Amino acid sequence: MTNILLEWMSHYGVLIIGVTTLLSCLALPVPSSLMMLTAGGFVASGDLTGWSVMAFAFGGAVFGDQIGYYLGRGFGAGILSRMSQNPKRAKLAARARDYIRTRGTMAVFFSRWLVSPLGPYVNLAGGASDMNWLRFSGASVSGEAVWVLLYVTTGYVFADRIVEISTLLGNASGALAAGTVTILLGLWLRHSVRLAQAHNPADKSG
Amino acid sequence: MGLIAFVLAAAVSLFFILRLGMFWIYWSDPAHRDQPIEGWMTPGYVAYSHHIPKDVIDDTLGLTPGRHPRKTLDDIAEESGRTVEELTILLNAVIAEQQRAGE
Repeated sequence: MTNILLEWMSHYGVLIIGVTTLLSCLALPVPSSLMMLTAGGFVASGDLTGWSVMAFAFGGAVFGDQIGYYLGRGFGAGILSRMSQNPKRAKLAARARDYIRTRGTMAVFFSRWLVSPLGPYVNLAGGASDMNWLRFSGASVSGEAVWVLLYVTTGYVFADRIVEISTLLGNASGALAAGTVTILLGLWLRHSVRLAQAHNPADKSG
Repeated sequence: MGLIAFVLAAAVSLFFILRLGMFWIYWSDPAHRDQPIEGWMTPGYVAYSHHIPKDVIDDTLGLTPGRHPRKTLDDIAEESGRTVEELTILLNAVIAEQQRAGE
């Protein structure tokens, strides 16, 4: 599929880049990083212009983020309020909401480029917890700008090593994303163990 | 359930770290670095990625220099009734020759 997309990039130009970044923000398995790297290579070889590549990649990504946010708002809010009917889960839902409200901006910004595999889910979570739209959009716009700039420039500079760079970056961002999830789950587990111990002092020895 | 999720996430992290390491070793061998020519590439891209003047590539493919925006090797092969493999052999020969001349 990657080769077909790359062939389309030559035929349809920057439009296909915008479509790819949009789809990737909705968690669809499209090779958006490879596409942007290659587009950077095409800028270097004179087949595409730099500003149009960046504009379309950026526009598609920001538009995709907005779709994800509103999908979360539409469907996720209902799930969260249903969760809140159960008193035990209500606490969890409230904590998730609070977390997104206080740290959401950072989560959105870094999940655009540093831990990009998590991006689509952060969009949904942001919408579902009714994160302030302006804050969400500000973080989305600045994060996507970093993402596009980083990948297109890297493609431009390393045009002769795109396959290499793309496999390295792909695995590095996968490792970072999975590592982040692992750490968050670890912190959460530790927190619940401490909570259980506080309720059950006899258990403290274990 | 939280523990299962934690172990799973840790396993996935380890998987990506191992893959990263494997690719790192693979790509540190210069022999693996030469990007093979593929049908989606344009003449300009082939020229740029092999550090060869664009005109040389255009000449090899029988194109008028600069008059073929974003045409891929697949397109050129189709138009000239050749296969991409034939074009690749031609291009590789020229690239090798140019690299020898450049050394």
